[in-house]
Amino acid sequence: MQAAPTGADRKRRAKFAIGGGVILLSLVALVSWAMLRPNSTSFFYTPTEVIELAAAPGGEEYRVNGKVLPDTVSSEGLTTKFEISDGKTQMPLTTDQPLPDAFWTAMANDSSEVEVVARGRYDGETFVASEVLAKCPSKFKAKTAA
Amino acid sequence: MTSLGGLGRPSLIAAGVLMLLAVGLSLWGALRHRPGPTEAGRRALTAAAAFVALATVALVSALFAHDFSLDYVASYSSRSLSRGYTLAALWGGMEGSLLFWTLLLCAFAALALRTTRTQPTALRAWTAVVLGGIASFFLLLLLAPANPFRMLTDVPADGTGLNPLLQSPGMMIHPPLLYTGLVGFSIPFAFGMAALATKDLEETWLKQTRRWTLFAWSALSIGIVLGGAWAYTELGWGGYWAWDAVENASFMPWLTSTAYLHSVVIQEKRKMFKVWNLSLILMTYVLAVFGTFLTRSGILSSIHTFTEGPIGKWFLPFLALMLIGGLGLIGARLDALKSRNRFDSLLSRESAFLANNVLFLAAAFAVLWGTIYPILAEAISGVRLAVGPPFFNAVFIPIGLALIALTGLGPLIAWRRMNPRSFARMIRLPLVMGTVAAVVSAAFGVRSAGALTAFALCAFTATAVIAEFVRGSRVHRSRENLGWLPALGHTIVRNRRRYGGYIVHLGVVLIVLGFTGSAFKIERSAHLAEGETMAVGDYTLRYEELVRGETDEKFIFQANIAASDGDEVTLLEPQRNLHKVQQQFQSEVAISTSPIEDLYVVVTAVDPDGAASIRAFVNPLTWWIWAGAAVMAMGMTVLLSEPATRTAPAPSPAAVRRPAVVTR
Repeated sequence: MQAAPTGADRKRRAKFAIGGGVILLSLVALVSWAMLRPNSTSFFYTPTEVIELAAAPGGEEYRVNGKVLPDTVSSEGLTTKFEISDGKTQMPLTTDQPLPDAFWTAMANDSSEVEVVARGRYDGETFVASEVLAKCPSKFKAKTAA
Repeated sequence: MTSLGGLGRPSLIAAGVLMLLAVGLSLWGALRHRPGPTEAGRRALTAAAAFVALATVALVSALFAHDFSLDYVASYSSRSLSRGYTLAALWGGMEGSLLFWTLLLCAFAALALRTTRTQPTALRAWTAVVLGGIASFFLLLLLAPANPFRMLTDVPADGTGLNPLLQSPGMMIHPPLLYTGLVGFSIPFAFGMAALATKDLEETWLKQTRRWTLFAWSALSIGIVLGGAWAYTELGWGGYWAWDAVENASFMPWLTSTAYLHSVVIQEKRKMFKVWNLSLILMTYVLAVFGTFLTRSGILSSIHTFTEGPIGKWFLPFLALMLIGGLGLIGARLDALKSRNRFDSLLSRESAFLANNVLFLAAAFAVLWGTIYPILAEAISGVRLAVGPPFFNAVFIPIGLALIALTGLGPLIAWRRMNPRSFARMIRLPLVMGTVAAVVSAAFGVRSAGALTAFALCAFTATAVIAEFVRGSRVHRSRENLGWLPALGHTIVRNRRRYGGYIVHLGVVLIVLGFTGSAFKIERSAHLAEGETMAVGDYTLRYEELVRGETDEKFIFQANIAASDGDEVTLLEPQRNLHKVQQQFQSEVAISTSPIEDLYVVVTAVDPDGAASIRAFVNPLTWWIWAGAAVMAMGMTVLLSEPATRTAPAPSPAAVRRPAVVTR
């Protein structure tokens, strides 16, 4: 049986609504604050876009992806250099971070098909990467249904 | 061993037909309340499960027989693969992992329906409809887009082999446990939905599924930790959790199921939170399936997309059906779900549980947001971006710390309404210990506010939880005239739910301690010729020499490194190997571990002249994560060992002073 809402009921409901509202607002505030922190989000660009943007280099890191030009890869000590391309624009990239095993595996398998995602900044000439990720070698992915 | 690969597809077809029959019969039984068709439906479902098992045996035998006429066998195994990893190839690829998933689902469904034969017909029949429906969907996937038994016209002499990354002991256990957990939640989910369909919303379905929930949650928890351990020991980047989309996909159902695990206690004891619990189990299940979908859809690039494939589009309608159907059912039954009890006081165990739920859900929402934000942003505005660990850490550190504080506070607060004076008395020692921990860490040079808070809260909560064991043991000691240790044993065994839970909480405290250590992580990289040294933290690493070797499977480049912390020298032997079949480079990390800190060394490149790039980390307190997980596993064992027939203990005498029920 449903009794008519009493004054106490209404008060209780109001309390819950206020409580729920406060919780929701704090969550939204927490998530928004976290999203706005440096490097929480980073944009993906193509080499073409990076070079267009270079006129106004921002402080934030961003990500760039492209295909590695196999003949340009060279390493010396901890530093690795190569060029990446999106088909239109070539961009030199340098990093002093170790490259993942997947990168060298992909180079060993089919060096013309190595794709990387690099995080870092463009200094006007070179993309200086603080992290380079390589896409996994394709033969371990499921083949698409014929 | 002979290959039974030819049996696979016919078995799957038989299973599909039987499963549809099971759904039809159960639906008949459910709508007409007939025990006959319900029982027949259950038997059909069990038979379907047997055929799925046969199909799995067929695939496993084909793997062991190196039957490369099967595309799956040729793609994920090879002649040189060891026996253990040949078995692991069952879940190393998309089709096999789906078959394994379906096997678990069918087996769990058959078992759950068998063990609940004394339950009302309608509840069982509807449960069978839900479980059979889900299983039919997975069987459809296995018969159409994800056929594990696809034949090759050109049979290769040898297979491609299992990805060397997956060739690690952790990979033998991590996926099966994770799957067990994720699939296990389909049982409470199906019973919950069935309870909604029958309008019998008393606590029957909860009691029937309590052990399933605990079992699934335990498997998922340990599975996630093992995944972290795998990442730590295999991937060589010095960490165990990267907030990778697929890690998140397993973490979201863990968060909602942990919330569920806590809030069902309130429903059992106080008959509150009914809508909430049904929504939580629905969310958990949808997130579990969403995770499976994310892993296989290819819409996210991640280290985990080993099982990627073209079946993503099949999952979306299935997910939508679950979500809309489930929410619709809950909505249609809202009236019957009204709770009979109310909150009596803001300072009560109930509100502590509610706060726990709010925090877990907030955490789940934040992870979901960070995981799907890139997809949403690209779909809506065409902007491509990534959400990185800084976001997740920023959200998680405050929520996690609040949860740890609550873990300590919970046991101190009584059900219904608490006496402020007894609260003040019980909180004194934990507060003192927390303060001591903060002061001591500060004296040892800890300056980060987050880390100081974490250490203080760990000490606070550990003290509060241990005090519970002491209080319990003291009662048994005086009442039964026992020594401390037997009294502790009695305390735990007599009330396994409560103290098993506390043991799990102690494990969680240790894990948080381990997480906190990552705030003090040190990382150094150097390119060294043989004989040169580098420093990391208090250690000096001397690169003695490069040792080259070769096995059937791989070329080995091992850097012998002598690590010295001033008085003791440890020899570390990290390797960088080239696997021949796959042409794949694979680093083998060397870790010197202790409760204080891990020294973690990786070779990232080797020059022809023997010079090597070395990356070294000092990871303080990481050891405690694995120790904490072991403690958690002990607690889970205690929880799961509770006899099935035992009913929940009555609320403590202090709680029954006021009239218990406020009806509306």
